[in-house]
Amino acid sequence: MSTSAALAALFCGAIGTYFARSSLILLLAGRSLPASVERALQNVGPAVLAALTINLAVGSSGLGGVEFAEVAALVVAGGVAAWWKNLTWTFVAGMATLWICSAIT
Amino acid sequence: MTTTSELETGPQGRIDRQALADVVPLAIPAIPFGFVVGLAATESAMPQWIAWLTAPLVFAGAAQLAMITLAGTATLWAVITAVLVINTRHLMYSAALAPTFRSQPRWMRWFGPFFMVDQVFALASLQTHRSPAEFRRYFLTTALAFYAVWNAVVPLGMLVGPIVPDSWRLDYAPPIMFAGLTLFAIKRVPAAVAAIVGGFVSLATVDLQDRLGIVVGALAGVGAGAVAEWIIDRRSAPPADPAADPSSDEAVT
Repeated sequence: MSTSAALAALFCGAIGTYFARSSLILLLAGRSLPASVERALQNVGPAVLAALTINLAVGSSGLGGVEFAEVAALVVAGGVAAWWKNLTWTFVAGMATLWICSAIT
Repeated sequence: MTTTSELETGPQGRIDRQALADVVPLAIPAIPFGFVVGLAATESAMPQWIAWLTAPLVFAGAAQLAMITLAGTATLWAVITAVLVINTRHLMYSAALAPTFRSQPRWMRWFGPFFMVDQVFALASLQTHRSPAEFRRYFLTTALAFYAVWNAVVPLGMLVGPIVPDSWRLDYAPPIMFAGLTLFAIKRVPAAVAAIVGGFVSLATVDLQDRLGIVVGALAGVGAGAVAEWIIDRRSAPPADPAADPSSDEAVT
């Protein structure tokens, strides 16, 4: 990625993030969003994070390039996150699974 | 987190101490996340100084990690779209705190939202009963504390990243972190439907150019979540027939 493209990504990302956080505080004087819109917004996080997880996990290598250890690491990380609600343990458990399964297979 | 009732009329120093005490349990889990963002920055196709600037300027962990990781594997617009879609959830925070911010001075309405990461929102949303001055003090103390922690930890990850051998597979840390964040974000059935559909559609579209599968998967997930909301609403709504048993469908919620 060239420096100018990276700078463009940085500034668009920074401005977009700021306005996602500020726009309704600045604009929503005395009104609130329709309940259906608010509930749809609650589903954006899970949907985009799941899509990101899968896309980054499969990567540019395609489905054929996915290793068993990688799938196992994601499954364990998901399980630990759901059970303990702790990102540190999620990371440790996921990486440990990746290392152990890679060493075995 | 300690209770807030004892502080309602306390001096500013007490509000600061309360805010910092509330920050600690939420800042500790953010430390490894910031560290991973720093590590990812050292593997990024972005120039490192620009990847570093995402911490002070964007100040959004998931969006930063996506931007840094996707750079070089997708076109510019695809990276920007992914970042904007990730941050759409912040509209929800903005809407939730809009009534509280209405009583704040103009500078605070423009300055405060910059810091509204998930944790600051979570803490601030519990303090909306305070006076405008006390709320502002609490919000800014938690915000600046998180900003300081984040901007210390990300560079630390960048320092350590080049020393870590490739065999440690830190390139795989971002999907592991995102898997954890996905599970954290699921609090209701429609959110679970959104995540499952988002994940599967993104898997089916993984071969699309420019990582377009992320946005396609996200849109499909949001659509499926909305359908799930609609079905649950219908099933839990009172039956139209007055002869029907009104409690018969309550178990589905």
